[in-house]
Amino acid sequence: MSMKKKLHFSKELKLCFILSSLFILCCQAVFAQSNVTGTVSDKSGPLVGVGVQVKGASASTTTNQNGVYTISVPNAGNAVLVFSYIGFTTQEVAVNGRSTVNASLVESASDLNEIVVVGYGTQKKKDLTGAISIVKAADVQKRQGTTVAESLQGLATGIKVRGGGQPGSEAQIQIRGLKNFGDNNPLYVIDGLVTSANRDFNPADIESIQILKDASAAAIYGSRAANGVIIITTKKGLDGPMKIEFSGKSSVQTMPRYDVAGTEEFSRLNFMAYDNAKVKRQELDLNTNTDWQDVAFRTGNVQDYNLSFSGGSKDASYFVSGGYFGNKGTVISTDFDRLSFRVNTKGTKGIFTIGENLAISSSKVNEMSGNPIIDVIRMLPTIPVYDASHPGGYGYGDESKARTFGTNPLAIANLEDRVNQNLRIRGNLFAELQLLKPLKFRSSLGYETSRDHYTYLKKDGFWTLNQAYDPAILNENRGESSTVLIENTLTFNKEFGKHSLTVIGGQSYQKDNYAMMWGTKRNILQNSTTGHYYDVLDQGNEALTGGYRNRSDLISYFGRLEYNYADKYLLNAVIRTDGVSRFGPDYKFGSFPSVSGAWRISREDFFKSSWIDDLKIRANYGTLGSSDIGAYEYMAFVNTFSAIPMGPNQNLQSGSTQVQLANRDLHWEEVTQQNYGIDAAFLNNKLSISGEYFISKTKGVLIRYPLLISTGNDGGNPFVNGGILGNRGFELTATYAESSTEFKYNVTANLTTLNNKVLGLGYNKNKTFVGNTVTEVGEPIGMWYVLQTDGLFQNLDDVKNYKNSKGKIIQPGAQPGDIRYKDNDGDGEITNKDKVVVGSPWANYELGLNIGASYKGFEFSMDWFGSFGAKVFNGPRSVMDNFSDNSNYRAGVQPWTPENPNTTVPRAFYSSTINARGDTDRWLENGSFARMKYIGISYNIPNKLLKRIGFNNAKVILSGQNLITITKYTGLDPEFSNKSVFEKGFDYGAFPNLRTVSLGLNFGF
Amino acid sequence: MKKIISKIFVLSALVLMFSCKKDLLNQDNPNTLTVDQFWKTEGDAQKGVNAAYAMFYQNGGWNRWIYFRLDLTSDEGWSNSPWTELGDWTRFQYINYNFWEGNVNTYRDTYKAIFRCNQVLTYVPDIPFTDAKKKAEILAQAKFLRGFYYYYAAILWENFPIVTTLQKPTDLPQQSSLAQVWAQVEKDLTEASADLPEQWTGNEIGRATKGAAQALLGKALMQQHKWSDAKTAFDYLVTGAGKNYYDLVDYKDNFRAENENNKESVFEIQFSDVNKNAEGDGPSANVGSNRAQFFAPRSIGWSDGQARFWLVNEFKKEKTVDNKIDPRLRYTLFYPGLEADFGDKIYGRSWEWGADEAWFKKYSRDYMRNNEDYFNQVNNRVIRYADVLLMYAEALNELGQTADAYQYVNRVRTRANMAALATAYPTIGNDKDLFRDRLKVERSLELCGESVRWADLKRWGDLDTKVNVDKVALRDPDFKNFVVGKHIRLPLPQVEVDNNTNLSQNPNY
Repeated sequence: MSMKKKLHFSKELKLCFILSSLFILCCQAVFAQSNVTGTVSDKSGPLVGVGVQVKGASASTTTNQNGVYTISVPNAGNAVLVFSYIGFTTQEVAVNGRSTVNASLVESASDLNEIVVVGYGTQKKKDLTGAISIVKAADVQKRQGTTVAESLQGLATGIKVRGGGQPGSEAQIQIRGLKNFGDNNPLYVIDGLVTSANRDFNPADIESIQILKDASAAAIYGSRAANGVIIITTKKGLDGPMKIEFSGKSSVQTMPRYDVAGTEEFSRLNFMAYDNAKVKRQELDLNTNTDWQDVAFRTGNVQDYNLSFSGGSKDASYFVSGGYFGNKGTVISTDFDRLSFRVNTKGTKGIFTIGENLAISSSKVNEMSGNPIIDVIRMLPTIPVYDASHPGGYGYGDESKARTFGTNPLAIANLEDRVNQNLRIRGNLFAELQLLKPLKFRSSLGYETSRDHYTYLKKDGFWTLNQAYDPAILNENRGESSTVLIENTLTFNKEFGKHSLTVIGGQSYQKDNYAMMWGTKRNILQNSTTGHYYDVLDQGNEALTGGYRNRSDLISYFGRLEYNYADKYLLNAVIRTDGVSRFGPDYKFGSFPSVSGAWRISREDFFKSSWIDDLKIRANYGTLGSSDIGAYEYMAFVNTFSAIPMGPNQNLQSGSTQVQLANRDLHWEEVTQQNYGIDAAFLNNKLSISGEYFISKTKGVLIRYPLLISTGNDGGNPFVNGGILGNRGFELTATYAESSTEFKYNVTANLTTLNNKVLGLGYNKNKTFVGNTVTEVGEPIGMWYVLQTDGLFQNLDDVKNYKNSKGKIIQPGAQPGDIRYKDNDGDGEITNKDKVVVGSPWANYELGLNIGASYKGFEFSMDWFGSFGAKVFNGPRSVMDNFSDNSNYRAGVQPWTPENPNTTVPRAFYSSTINARGDTDRWLENGSFARMKYIGISYNIPNKLLKRIGFNNAKVILSGQNLITITKYTGLDPEFSNKSVFEKGFDYGAFPNLRTVSLGLNFGF
Repeated sequence: MKKIISKIFVLSALVLMFSCKKDLLNQDNPNTLTVDQFWKTEGDAQKGVNAAYAMFYQNGGWNRWIYFRLDLTSDEGWSNSPWTELGDWTRFQYINYNFWEGNVNTYRDTYKAIFRCNQVLTYVPDIPFTDAKKKAEILAQAKFLRGFYYYYAAILWENFPIVTTLQKPTDLPQQSSLAQVWAQVEKDLTEASADLPEQWTGNEIGRATKGAAQALLGKALMQQHKWSDAKTAFDYLVTGAGKNYYDLVDYKDNFRAENENNKESVFEIQFSDVNKNAEGDGPSANVGSNRAQFFAPRSIGWSDGQARFWLVNEFKKEKTVDNKIDPRLRYTLFYPGLEADFGDKIYGRSWEWGADEAWFKKYSRDYMRNNEDYFNQVNNRVIRYADVLLMYAEALNELGQTADAYQYVNRVRTRANMAALATAYPTIGNDKDLFRDRLKVERSLELCGESVRWADLKRWGDLDTKVNVDKVALRDPDFKNFVVGKHIRLPLPQVEVDNNTNLSQNPNY
């Protein structure tokens, strides 16, 4: 009722306003041309370069350095001035005959004014010339992830994230496709420190994330920026009294599960497979019906608590935070704990500023043993969990009763302890000197170290059939990594009228060290009463030790020039020269320049549109480098580890030899990129659209390209600058945001397409085969290369009639129910030559959809991610459906029988590859999926209530992750990860994404 | 004050800047020598050849997989492994030519060993030695080992590209014919023989001797049916200068960890259980054998390979002179009657397996423990004197000197307490074919499970015609899959054929 009233009132007011304006306009129509002047400002002071235009006339100008403008107005009586400025709401002011018209602009809701960290400096989002995605820290923090990467999927274009899920595991992230054949992980820069946002980094400390995707954006980081850069800035204290913020999240996690046979169904099919193969049936234990998934999997949970204290004054600020992250895994005997602590401070006195960012974290992972994702299907339901007749007391395969070499997941979890702990200290100390008003010198000293401790204890006992006997073994290793980064930069920033210039020059030195030592002993002492093992290296015998260390150095010089003319023309030029110890004497240095420009068309005088608020086009070209190889790869070494027992006492004599070849002329891998972008804002900045098209080409890709076996090489193929890779793609993001009403909402959709193409391979080869894939020049990496199946033989006539052109029976040994393969080369035999490319493991396009809405204290958000068009290999199904080797079977699987011929599954046949070949298209599936990555609703407790208990804010959040997945893929998770570049589409039984439901509470006071 | 701070600050920054000298970019590997820094001293040369011997301890070769090729593929052995592909590779069902365990690992380790030999043969000639004889011995050992690996490459793949120089990543060696590979074997072994010592002493016992080179050369010549040359090569051990170094010993002493490197041993791979670690090129890698772990009966070892039962029957066909079961059976096979016949349990167990099953016993540690592991220390007597004597007899028979051949077969039979051949089989007489047929049986009884059978079948032509293969298939039904002209040799790894444009796949693959 009251709302209606308000509405009514405002209508009246508007009418009144319009009428009076008209009246005034009429009255003043007679005034002649005159000059109008004034100052345009926002809440913080005068605005420079604001466009001022007389509505309906051609006259226009911009404000000067003091925010003052002067414009000639033809008819000062009824003229209306239009003030427009990027990032601000356009304002129209009637002159009403005045000679001084001041305007006060209000920042628009659009995020164009966002400050973007671009590496050694900042820019406003509206001034960007490169491809940079900005991810809101809140969007990352609302998700429950161990690492930042895990939470980025679907939040920005051109980014692909896979993996995570396992306690303490780190997701892989890929920006704009595969630039090389390496791990393709981007460079992380946290508060200026080149590092990695691994599991030791607490995402709760993030203030902002920017993803530099193209060459112009990333070039300032030169080497190692080839895979893109993710810049993370952690929180800082703000001016004011101390603020205390708490956030807590508690989550429940569950695994997706296979639908597998129980004993009744399993035994029927197993007998069928043996009978068909004319092998005597196993004496299956039909009284046992073990659900191995119940044994290996459980409901996991995550506890994530963070507390921060921050505040500051005009001259100093501080931010102190502590966090605990605990994850009980969804697989038995796995968990992860992280304690993290951070202090960021900064102080200024006159022209001098000093500050530091310091993070300390202690992590402990209880790692998974074996691969339960596969073992739960390799173990037969007829095997009991415990079997007292086995040493160690666990049930596993048996030669006569249950012939499988699957591992009992409970046995290996209990008999093997793998614990990985580390303490990481990461921080930097920086000082800034404002030498002159436009000139700033900054020096930063960064240091990061991780002290790693890994222990592996294997206890006495067996977990699989025919396991070789080993006593209790302890292996312990301790490693220490450190990075020192010294950087000095000089920044010059000045505006001359409409010109704005920023020049940055700098130099950096980085030293990375790693050292580790390990020891192993056997026959570890056990307390026979308690069963406890004394897991220290003092115990046991047959000691072995080892250790090594590595060092690499990087010296860099870099500079950037940013030029901006009247916000219309933007130019950015970057160069970086890197010298690295990893390459040979003649190849250490590489230079990586880039240039980019943008034109804001909407600021041009000729551009007149009432509905386009901003229109900018961008283009850039640049080069990035990569030296992502080990410290000493260009040198050939002597392996001194061989030993031979000789003589009557078989004393060991040592041997030395070269094992691995090396390419001495290793040099920088170079990516050249072109990027074309357009940014536009419409409807009073409510709708913004950003499109990017890019072409990148990586030359001299550093790859361990396979050598001929006849070289005798071992220990891994040596790196070579082998191969040229091309990527081209298109990215589109559209956001519609309505924030002026009480019901606020925003919808962002993003689309990414990406095509990779191999333009050259190592040692001038044309093709390379890895597993079931071929990588061929002119084609994308890792295309599926397999035999094609062509249904099943239904009867012996089918077999006899399946001939090549010369009348040769192609599969003379086949029986009804066996698979018919295509004889693609027509030679009348099924051989490797019949393999053909049958599909691509790469998605045609990927979509992200983010929806947010709020009303009063409620906020709702939902993120979807979809990937379409990839063909993927279902590894677990190739185990379950093959019948050749014993594993459990898919529930409801219908192998061919004479009575049941209408099926695609061939007849069950034990111990033969006839129908079980892994190199066929039978295991390929449509890998398209759409998944609700996140859904959450939160409620902000009203201030009135909070004030009473002394709180400033409080929020309750209920959210879910991965709750809905729409896919035809029959494996556990279509969003799986495989580390091999050549087999990206091969699901070997990867750890799936988990379904997570979280309840969170945030409050501050 | 402010100025001072600024000055200190700028100064220290400048110092930091200039402290980054470019020589920071020259970092030496603190962990080991570069190849350029090695191959300078006599010690380096010795270590280089030692590393070539160390290839015996890697999976593709005599540590593990080669037994699948030589013993299981032959009609003596078979695989009932639940690992279907592993089993398929012992029964001529080669589908994926890149199958690591069946093909590529052995192929790779062969070249790895050749690479090590080639390093010695390339670098050592330039190293100054105070004792020229020592240098010659090192080079001769490298030649012996290279010849050894080419011998088995000829047996397994036949058309195996010969590499005698250090390879660059871009090199594409030419295909070699079987004849070329044999020529390389003969050259290497002949040259090795010239400089190898007749015997090693002390801590060097176990290295290749002149006798080893002559015996292996003889075997290579036998495979080519160069009977006369083969006989000449064997002469050194049987009638020549080396004959006093060799003799037959207690039969079981050929397969146990005790009495290794005895008089019967012509060439022996030294195994030890001192390093309980994985195989490979890492520190303290295993120098033992995995064979027994893979071949031991079910629930003791992996049982990926077992013996064909016809062997048991063959042993029982003829009694000793005192009417007992051939004692060699006791040390050759695990079979259902072992406990009844000789009183021996199997790893402490009574027979619990199929009534028609048998497993290889040689080199097992059943006599000393109740389980196996990956670190078996029993040396493999790759060439023992009994083999040489039977080969010698075979060469003589082929040369028409059958009567002369008897004595060598008899030496072997007598040791097993069997009657003289002419007494036991009077119908043979000087009939070359009958003698050869009997010799085939004699070899299987004496040498069963010692990795010689595959070469024997090839040499005898038993795999050259369908008729002959069918006969073999009566003993080993796996040979029903055998295609004449195809399965006589392994396919080359497909990845090598794809990547080396000078290479074609073996015929019919």
